[in-house]
Amino acid sequence: MKRADGELILLWTVPALALIWISAFFLFPGFIHPMSPEMSSNEVAAFYRDSSNLDRIRGSMILFNWFCVGMIPALTLIVMQIRRMAHRTPVLSYCMLGCTAGGPTLFLIANLFWLIAAFRPERAPDQTQMLNDLAWVTFTTAVPFLIAQSVVIALAIYLDRQPEPVFRPWVAHFNLVVAAALVPAAFVGLAMKDGVMAWNGLLPFWVKNAAIAVWIVVMGVELGRVIYRQRAAEESEAVEAVAGAGA
Amino acid sequence: MTTSSVKEAEAGKAVPFVPGQPDMWFFALFETLVFTAYFVVYMFARMQHHEAFLQSQAKLSLSIGTFNTLVLLVSSWSMARCVKEARVGAYRSALTNAFLTASFGVVFLGSKIYEWVREIRLGYGFASDEFFSYYFFLTGIHALHLLIGFVVLGVVVHQLRSPERRSQNLVETGAVYWHTVDFLWVLVFSLLYVVR
Amino acid sequence: MSAAATETETLLESPGGSPLRRIAWHWRHNPKRELWGAWFTIIAFYNVFTVVFFIMTHTQPPPKPWLDAHGVVRWFDGYHNALLIGFGVMFVLTGMTVAQNALIAYSMRRMSVHPGFGYAYLVLYSLAGVPGSLLLCIVLTVGAMRPDRDPALMSWLYDFAFLSYVGTMGVFLVGSLVWMTAILLDKNNVFPKWFGYLNLCNALTEVVVSPAWIFHRGVFAWNGLIAWWIDMVVFGVYTGAFISLLRNMIQREDFGTGPLPELVPNKPNKPDKPGKAKRGPDSPSTMGAAR
Repeated sequence: MKRADGELILLWTVPALALIWISAFFLFPGFIHPMSPEMSSNEVAAFYRDSSNLDRIRGSMILFNWFCVGMIPALTLIVMQIRRMAHRTPVLSYCMLGCTAGGPTLFLIANLFWLIAAFRPERAPDQTQMLNDLAWVTFTTAVPFLIAQSVVIALAIYLDRQPEPVFRPWVAHFNLVVAAALVPAAFVGLAMKDGVMAWNGLLPFWVKNAAIAVWIVVMGVELGRVIYRQRAAEESEAVEAVAGAGA
Repeated sequence: MTTSSVKEAEAGKAVPFVPGQPDMWFFALFETLVFTAYFVVYMFARMQHHEAFLQSQAKLSLSIGTFNTLVLLVSSWSMARCVKEARVGAYRSALTNAFLTASFGVVFLGSKIYEWVREIRLGYGFASDEFFSYYFFLTGIHALHLLIGFVVLGVVVHQLRSPERRSQNLVETGAVYWHTVDFLWVLVFSLLYVVR
Repeated sequence: MSAAATETETLLESPGGSPLRRIAWHWRHNPKRELWGAWFTIIAFYNVFTVVFFIMTHTQPPPKPWLDAHGVVRWFDGYHNALLIGFGVMFVLTGMTVAQNALIAYSMRRMSVHPGFGYAYLVLYSLAGVPGSLLLCIVLTVGAMRPDRDPALMSWLYDFAFLSYVGTMGVFLVGSLVWMTAILLDKNNVFPKWFGYLNLCNALTEVVVSPAWIFHRGVFAWNGLIAWWIDMVVFGVYTGAFISLLRNMIQREDFGTGPLPELVPNKPNKPDKPGKAKRGPDSPSTMGAAR
């Protein structure tokens, strides 16, 4: 079997992307001390009118706009790995493919709201606050496809019953833990006071975003391991085939 | 549309219950039910504002409507001829009738568009008057069915063209669709133009 | 996909006992577990959807489009907690829709048509989830969470939510047409042809709903008799039909590539017979419902 080129390029987009995302994350002034939902409309407007903030908001969000869909190439590699699993049907790989676009699209919508709020900071404070709310709620609740994606990966691994499964079983357990960690963020609308459940709180902000970051790192490393092993196996097979043909 | 499976089905079954696929009859029934629901809503609104509806209805041109109806009825006749000719193997004549049907369809659509433009010029648009909302909706959704009918006629022509295909079942299925569109128009016409 | 290829040929015996044990058995042995898992996920999703949209939040049938700004504020007040909790549930579970899209895409891969049909449907309907449902959830959450917001802005959020929800048409329109074309061309008899035509009826409702972008009241408005109620009935018939036809497809599935075999009537191993009945490989499992 001839190997198609470019798989490793898709894989190595992950660390490059992680670097960009982390820098954009710290560049945005509203993330390091996440903005509180308790801020009044005047405070929110002042946040966007502060000229030192404004440049960082625009810069970070333009960066996110460029690269928030950047995970899709790497996610398709996971789709391809699911196809290699010992399943009877491609249904789970289709599920994964269906998930890949949803998460980035939702993040992109949040990103647009932030950029629109920053485009005309002189807008009436109420309007800026609404755009800010839309951005934060979209950003925080953008979990449906991420949860589904983790559950699908876990199921796919559990059903991959062969002597040498594609992913190791702990990757499945890990994905279920990540899925659970994302759940509280869905209920962010309920907590309008600072606290663990607010959009700047422990669960919807820190736990959720940390879970996403850890997921990217762990899945990136695991995917790399799987792909390099697969390539090594294919290479040795090819060598054997050549040797067999020569003999 | 599959030919081989349909031919097998034709060979396997003794006497078909209806001409064409029964599936298309299901569609005809379902769409008729949906249109009936639209008509019920329309008749109810009409009862509520009888005077206003009558006034607006007077702006419609009954002669164009009658012309529409005649053209579509003639198209149904040529469609029926197409089926008949195909049944006895006169495919050339069947093709001519299929094209004739399509041209009557085009004439219908042309006169419909002319009528719409005329009414909009008179100041009656989709959103300007309640009667005309229904009028544009019903005639518009019907015209859309007619446009789909051209695709169906395309399938019929495609079937008739090559000796390898020529599934009588599909030709008749297409005819059922065309007659449904015609039948729905007669209902739309009588409700919008004729009933006072 | 080659593992357990012979399983379908042999009859498998499911143990009796508690539902949990049966689920565990199907999870381990049922060769159609992926398909049944997706199917039960669809059932579960539509149940959740109905509870959240029809019962909890009363966003279906949609509220009046002609409310003035203060009416909108009162509407948000009335459903404050229901909106925030209900849509929280939707944010967790909307991902279940991918199971439906995947299973339908699979149905097209089982047909004798080009693979492009299945993938096109998958992409179209995966895209549909965002404007067709999630935007409404996000925007109404934003509206409900700050009841003291300027009523004019509340009114804007209200319009945004319901227009994006009711007025997202193209993806469903084209998606239904893709499925219709695949079914009508298919020689493997995966779906009956009447369902192909029913896809056209469903696609037409997406045209009928378009006046909702123009009318503020009446039968063509976003909660109108024609633009919403009649369309909803058609959609309900359509959804019920495809859920039962997908079940039928899974029961008939033979993992081959030729025509899908018909179900043998009066099988000794009735799928829904409880207890220690012998079960064919095509008996429905309940494993999907467990997760």
